[in-house]
Amino acid sequence: MRIISQLMAVPGVIAAGEYSFRGDRYTYEGHLTPETARMASILCRANTLSVNMQVDMFDSLVPQNGLMPAQGWIVRGRAISVCVTGNIFCFIQNKQGLLNNVMALLRANLGDTEGDVMKYMYSKIGGDVEEKLY
Amino acid sequence: MSLDHLMQVPGALAAFQYSDKGDLVQHVIKEGTALTAQALDLLAHTCVANSAIATMEARGWEALTGQQGFEPLQGFSLIGMDWSAVFGSNCGVVLRNQDVNYEAAFSALTQCKL
Repeated sequence: MRIISQLMAVPGVIAAGEYSFRGDRYTYEGHLTPETARMASILCRANTLSVNMQVDMFDSLVPQNGLMPAQGWIVRGRAISVCVTGNIFCFIQNKQGLLNNVMALLRANLGDTEGDVMKYMYSKIGGDVEEKLY
Repeated sequence: MSLDHLMQVPGALAAFQYSDKGDLVQHVIKEGTALTAQALDLLAHTCVANSAIATMEARGWEALTGQQGFEPLQGFSLIGMDWSAVFGSNCGVVLRNQDVNYEAAFSALTQCKL
């Protein structure tokens, strides 16, 4: 996927990948082994679903708020951060300016995730995803 | 640093402090926004929950892969369509995405000693 190659061209990006609905189906580039990329994909899928649940609950208290629908999340570590937008994940070093640049790149390239994240994540199945899900 | 200082982060709509259990301790809401203390209390609980989960994942990841650099965690951000919530060090800030500067927010939060 082009966005992954674009991310990997940015100095300080350690790895980037795309995860799918099962979490253990993924593509990636960078400094991860296939096994750690699989783990990262499962972890990202789980956190994405959790964040979406949280935003849904928040929406019941503040209708038409700006968090809904969830677009992604960031974990800021001591020296490494993980950024997720849609179903793209990116491991980066905590270099000055890099987090803002990567997030801008992700949001600009992926656009907004509208509506149900499950449908978005399952879209790779093809066909009528809503019918298959519900 | 006070909540008023956190409100100086670009795009800040609200700033809040929460206990280790996630209860809202104090907050500031920019006039004219739809946020309420009840909503920030729920958000504060998600802050604690996400911090705990992320710490568990970071610890497990470092142990399993040998890749260091995650712990101690500085914070977590939940990104929405028009707003982002950024939190760490028992403080959080809700930001407008059009003005968002995640690094400035995380940096401000590391200095949040209320």
